[in-house]
Amino acid sequence: MKMIIDGRGIYGIPGETILEAAKRAGISIPTLCHHPAFPGQGRCRLCLVEVNRKGVKRVVASCTYPLLEEGEEGEEMEVKTSTPEIEEIRKDIVMLLYKQAPASKLMQDLFRQYRCAENSLRENSGEKCILCNLCARACEEMGTGAISLVMRGTEKRLATPFDEASPDCIGCGACAAICPTGAIEMKDDKESQKRHIWHQHFDLVPCARCGELFATKKQLDFIARREGKSYETSYYCEACRKKHTAKTIADFRRRRE
Amino acid sequence: MEKSLVIKPEKCTGCRTCELICSFKHTQETNPMRSRISVFCFEKVGFSTPIVCQQCSKPACMEICPVNAISKSEETGAMIVDDIKCIKCKMCTVACPFGATIYDPVLDVVAKCDLCYGDPQCVKYCPSKAITYQAADEAHILRRKSFAEKFRGFYEEVNK
Repeated sequence: MKMIIDGRGIYGIPGETILEAAKRAGISIPTLCHHPAFPGQGRCRLCLVEVNRKGVKRVVASCTYPLLEEGEEGEEMEVKTSTPEIEEIRKDIVMLLYKQAPASKLMQDLFRQYRCAENSLRENSGEKCILCNLCARACEEMGTGAISLVMRGTEKRLATPFDEASPDCIGCGACAAICPTGAIEMKDDKESQKRHIWHQHFDLVPCARCGELFATKKQLDFIARREGKSYETSYYCEACRKKHTAKTIADFRRRRE
Repeated sequence: MEKSLVIKPEKCTGCRTCELICSFKHTQETNPMRSRISVFCFEKVGFSTPIVCQQCSKPACMEICPVNAISKSEETGAMIVDDIKCIKCKMCTVACPFGATIYDPVLDVVAKCDLCYGDPQCVKYCPSKAITYQAADEAHILRRKSFAEKFRGFYEEVNK
């Protein structure tokens, strides 16, 4: 359907969201909980835009607002990504998210960038998580599903079941990699060859050739299980796996000669 | 017809020009550590060969990817990583049996050979033409298959 975003005429593909259409056209809308692999969460509300349809103005989250087929509500839609009203709302959202996660560098920067005023609202001191749920989505998609949002209201947080070491967690670190605020701590200890994450110490596997710690034992088991075969060469790191292949080719040619 | 990289180890001199041009093309830096192609030399037996992504017909990287960020390009047949969709779980780097999928910590992306979207630079710059980019005809595919079959037997034997 045809629509106008910030004065520019854009054709949106039915089914995609305003945010996706805007991104495709190179119009940027600020987001925190959006990741192209996990679109449409609508959690952080930072992507709010003003939609004008049939003369009715509404403020909607652009990451969850779908575009309809042409003709269904046929007329043009006008979207404004930045108006004084929207900016004011965004400022409040940033302020609230900062109060939720004041220890996060990203939120501190955004707090300054949006020129939010200090106020007396209680800070969730020491917290870095803004509850965007991306880590839980990543974990679920990995096929492990070891973490999720628990509790309600002000006590809501991301955790493993009962805050204990989860047998489902494979220590891959996808959650820590996707976290926008760096709230998930993952520590690799080279001496004891352990990775610490989510109340657990995972065995890191050293490469059989060079000794580099390249994955956790559970990660290798997970891949072997998923592919239904054993992975003897996977106990080499990437670089040594290449070398191993080259060496095998060299030996093979020598034998043929 | 789909073209693929054909490597002739007997022509490889081990000069590593391919590594340099590959990293320059993808990272604007001539740094072999960040190259998607790697050359291995065995001086004692007088053998050297580049190792690069095989663009497998059953790619382990694509199968393991939890968010389907790796897809087969219709134009070139190469497995392409969608950097934006990728969640950097690095499962593909562990799953690849050849170690041809690597993680580049500088750009925070998973790097693998993308055949330079149909214009492989390693082929262009290889001084001894050890790497060529060819369309595979029927006879060629049969030859490769018989070689692969023999190689597999050998590979299983030495890895027992």
